[in-house]
Amino acid sequence: MGHPKSITLYTAKICPYAQRVEIALAEAKVEYKAYQVDLSNKPEWFAPKVNPASKVPAIAYGGPDVDPESPSSESTKLAESLVLVEFIADLYPEANLLPKDPTLRAKARFFVEVVNSKFLPMRFILHNEPYQSILDTATVIQSLLPESGKYAMGDEYTIADIAFTPFYARFKLSVENEIGAYEYGKGREILNALQAPKYAKFNAYVDRLLERPSFKATFDEVKLTTKTIYRGC
Amino acid sequence: MSSPKSITLYTAKVCPYAQRVEITLAEAKADFKAYQIDLANKPEWYAPKVNPASKVPAIAYGGPDVAPENPSPESTKLAESLVLVEFVADLFPQSNILPKDPVLRAQARFFIEVIGSKFIPAYIKFVLRGEGYEDLLAGVAAVQDLLPESGKYAFGDQYTIADVAFTPFFARLKLAAENELGVYQTGQGRAFLDALSSDKYAKFNAYVNHLLERPSFTSTFHEAYLKDVYAKRFVKAQ
Repeated sequence: MGHPKSITLYTAKICPYAQRVEIALAEAKVEYKAYQVDLSNKPEWFAPKVNPASKVPAIAYGGPDVDPESPSSESTKLAESLVLVEFIADLYPEANLLPKDPTLRAKARFFVEVVNSKFLPMRFILHNEPYQSILDTATVIQSLLPESGKYAMGDEYTIADIAFTPFYARFKLSVENEIGAYEYGKGREILNALQAPKYAKFNAYVDRLLERPSFKATFDEVKLTTKTIYRGC
Repeated sequence: MSSPKSITLYTAKVCPYAQRVEITLAEAKADFKAYQIDLANKPEWYAPKVNPASKVPAIAYGGPDVAPENPSPESTKLAESLVLVEFVADLFPQSNILPKDPVLRAQARFFIEVIGSKFIPAYIKFVLRGEGYEDLLAGVAAVQDLLPESGKYAFGDQYTIADVAFTPFFARLKLAAENELGVYQTGQGRAFLDALSSDKYAKFNAYVNHLLERPSFTSTFHEAYLKDVYAKRFVKAQ
């Protein structure tokens, strides 16, 4: 495989999907251009020239060196956060974001599928739906964690952890600060519920996720606590 | 990489998700055991010993040589059709169904995402809920927009995971519509197919014809069986 080409990432600090890609790029130590898209006021060139779905994250890969606001038709445009995370893992295999062993790789992708389809705290945060499903999902995630090791696939930090961290972090920020559509006090309630010993392994895991430098470097806590934590992005 | 271990696939002829994995295994020319799960009457050992979600497809990989009804705790259990398709592609790189170039690979995975978000829900809406086929035609257009200028498949002449992900769903839609099998009113199947035959979908139609000719598809598609199952499932009021 040849040397990777230039990357411009269209992103937004608020967006957990976009943060997945930022974390992957940080883990791979990629030099890239980041362009912040204002999701409440998207530039008129964004959909036609970068992503017809008008969402972040999106990547413009290769092509001539241009201003991000003036994307070239010669760059390849790619979208969908999990597709982009796998793309970065493929471009930078030395970052070890994907296990080499096919069985472990399949388990990592299964973990991604579980967190992506089952960890949906916005239903509680934005729509005040009961939070029991969040606790149930924590139990499921916990059951997938290995006997030992820091992360979802052992001591290697992989796409499994990357897929989950931005969503867990925004959930935690929301409930710690009682920011959301739910009644004041419910944030504390779910945090208390999660302190139960039966979630000990889950809690140890997520604590380590939040300590990962590539997460901390790409998580703008101040900005997030002053805006809605979750919104369509 | 060392040679792959034994594979037992838990599958069901009716299930399009399971067929994705069967096609991949056929493309890989892999030896494997196939065990049919009766989805209407699942064996009591299936969820505890193979897949807690109680769904097909699932794979038991490695471990001692046992009867599929008696899965060993030593085999690794894996599930989720797209995870399994990538797994088989990783185990059998000579199957050549994963593009080697990272950009093409990303585009193939994006194609699969579009199938999942734009085509499959619209297919369910039409066939299983009888709520019209406008979204389905929009899904067709979305797929067509991704097809290349030339070449038989989604990524040119190489048959890839993108094609594997789509074919079982389109094939079942076509079978249902041609035979007026579904929750929709009789006649809607024909109406949909007439709309689909429009010139504006010519590229899509050429593409799906290639998909339906692929031997790994034809050898894993049980048309008479499916017609029978659908006829029983969709007994119409009228």
